[in-house]
Amino acid sequence: MTGTEPILKVEGISKAFGGLKAVQDFALTLNPGDVQGLIGPNGAGKTTCFNLLTGVYRPDAGRVQLNGAEVTGLRPYLIAGAGMARTFQNIRLFPDLSVLDNVMLGSHLRTRQNMTQAILRTRFHRADERAIERRARRLLELFELDTRAEEEARSLPYGDQRKLEIARALATDPKVLLLDEPAAGMNPQEKGELRGLIDRIRREFSVTVLLIEHDMNVVMKICETITVLDYGVTIAVGPPGRVQSDPKVIEAYLGVPGEAH
Amino acid sequence: MASAGQIEKPGPTLMGSAAIGWLPTIAIILAAVIIQITIRPMLGDFYAKVLLDIGVNIVLAVSLTMVNGFTGQFSMGHAAFMAVGGYTAATVMYYGSFRLFGEASMAGGVLSSMMSDREGPVPYFTRGDLLFLASTLFGGLVAAGCGYLVGLPSLRLRGDYLAIVTLGFGEIVRVLIQALTTDALYDADEIAATPVYQFPKYIGGALGFSGLPFYNSLFWSLGLAGLTILTAYRIKSSTFGRAFLSIREDEIAAEAMGVNTTRYKVRAFVIAAFFAGMAGALFAHTSGVQLNAGELGFLKSFDIIIMVVLGGLGSISGAAFAAIILTILPELLRQPAFLVHGWIVAVPLIAGGIALRMLAARRRADTSIPKLLIGFGVAVALLAIAAAIARSRDIDLGRYRMIFYALALIVIMIARPQGLLSVREIWERGLWRGLGNWVRSLRRETGEARP
Ligand SMILES: Nc1ncnc2c1ncn2[C@@H]1O[C@H](COP(=O)(O)OP(=O)(O)OP(=O)(O)O)[C@@H](O)[C@H]1O
Ligand SMILES: [Mg+2]
Repeated sequence: MTGTEPILKVEGISKAFGGLKAVQDFALTLNPGDVQGLIGPNGAGKTTCFNLLTGVYRPDAGRVQLNGAEVTGLRPYLIAGAGMARTFQNIRLFPDLSVLDNVMLGSHLRTRQNMTQAILRTRFHRADERAIERRARRLLELFELDTRAEEEARSLPYGDQRKLEIARALATDPKVLLLDEPAAGMNPQEKGELRGLIDRIRREFSVTVLLIEHDMNVVMKICETITVLDYGVTIAVGPPGRVQSDPKVIEAYLGVPGEAH
Repeated sequence: MASAGQIEKPGPTLMGSAAIGWLPTIAIILAAVIIQITIRPMLGDFYAKVLLDIGVNIVLAVSLTMVNGFTGQFSMGHAAFMAVGGYTAATVMYYGSFRLFGEASMAGGVLSSMMSDREGPVPYFTRGDLLFLASTLFGGLVAAGCGYLVGLPSLRLRGDYLAIVTLGFGEIVRVLIQALTTDALYDADEIAATPVYQFPKYIGGALGFSGLPFYNSLFWSLGLAGLTILTAYRIKSSTFGRAFLSIREDEIAAEAMGVNTTRYKVRAFVIAAFFAGMAGALFAHTSGVQLNAGELGFLKSFDIIIMVVLGGLGSISGAAFAAIILTILPELLRQPAFLVHGWIVAVPLIAGGIALRMLAARRRADTSIPKLLIGFGVAVALLAIAAAIARSRDIDLGRYRMIFYALALIVIMIARPQGLLSVREIWERGLWRGLGNWVRSLRRETGEARP
């Protein structure tokens, strides 16, 4: 991917909670079309990185550039508007809303109607709502959730809830998609499907994906580049094969100095 | 989005496709005109007044559900917006009438009159009605401005803290009106000589604003109720409604999906205050009502909150339905001779509910619907018993209405904590489907594996 402008450029962001340095000097470059992984033991600071990128927390230092625009420290809704969408490690759907409404909400930030038009039910409003719904239904079909469109989101099984979260994020029309442990709680078959799905959405929606994952099988198979965090520090970056055999990574995961194998 | 071969299913969203453009608005106004002209003369003054109160209460409950239900903020000062709108409109109306018509008595036509015995040819709509319309809208706007101010702390506070701020706001409004204003002017010459900006000082003080003309009628009250429901529904079923609801559902996720949560939280307050202000304007000009800030304090806010919680936070039809029930209930409580027959309703409800509950338990289906039936039946039965006792001892049950509210709330919260309709609307497909699924789950054989 040489010669292309990076879609996401993270330069040395850090975050401390009181005395705890959760993330130190984290850097990352995503080029359009990448699928990269972020791994590390529990408490390494992976989710905190996502929270820094999406504006949930403001970085103590460093810069985040999305598609050439500076987004460091902006409010999350602005960062979402700039083209970064995410899912959450502990699923955060809108449980009382229908599956369809969950996805339709994702399109809210791209709407150009205003509330007066909605109250007056103007032609533009109606056309826009139809477009939003069409888009949402298409996404649901892609994720094979269309048959449950009218059900409450809370009534979906766990694996489907994770898929719905991805569908909702895609409805925001993102350039970069951050997935926080998308395979957590899925059975092996669902994990296999998820791999195919991630591959498919990357091609069809031309999004760039950064994912956190504990399941090495998933990470190794779909990511081209992997960044490894341990105690907030980046200890390795590179292609899966090299990272897997990196002694520092093995040590971080096993807790003892390891050997390449 | 280039997936090939995908079918585009047309179809209504969860809320159903809304009727188009201006038609429903016109239909609502027409219906209000027709009710006023044809039905009003057939009703006695008592029933007309109950219907009038229902309209105003629907406006209050439906507007409050936009704050407490849609965005999940907890406002406890809704009556204060009503007071602001009511006093603003009353000031314009009272002193405006003096300045324009030389006196403050009713100068409205048939549409604005609760009096059925007016003689001679009375016009349908007059300058007085126009002034009333204008001052009602103005009252709404001033209340909306206050809504904006109260909405601002909601950006930093949540939950209990916001509730306390809104409660404080309500009390401040009440005290300011009671303490800083004095008796209304009633002498036409004096009013003519007083500069306009001084009028807000003479709005009645602690004794209330008396001498207001009675413009409120079924036309205004039911018309505004209809328009409020329409507006709330159109907001809820649009992308903005989803934005509101997403905040109540999960604020962090809403923000991550691009919803400007601060803007929508304030907007909810502004819109709700606008409608509450207009409701206050109608209320202020109702026959038999003396506009008094003392009656628009915390207790009134609490009445509205009960309607919203009972109907289901976020449900427009639920709030409207609860407003109707809770307006009729106090009147019913004054009719123990009628209430004692409640067992005719209660017994089938309880028996049917218990039977369904046993069936549901055996089939491992959801038991909330049977519980709701039982709860409703028990409530009616309790009312009937209370009525029987009241009749034999000559007690006025109406004075104990708060006890019944509390009991009803306890029953509802046990049987159905999400309120009668939760966030849904009675006309929604999702709700019907939910009922359908439930009935189907009853039919399913015991122990059969779920798909
Ligand atoms: N809001 C917060 N306040 C204080 N400490 C926090 C906060 N968020 C995270 N931490 C701490 O920062 C460290 C990194 O947490 P983080 O959630 O980013 O880890 P993680 O790599 O996502 O771990 P896991 O694999 O368990 O999800 C942890 O020690 C955590 O306790
Ligand atoms: Mg994590």
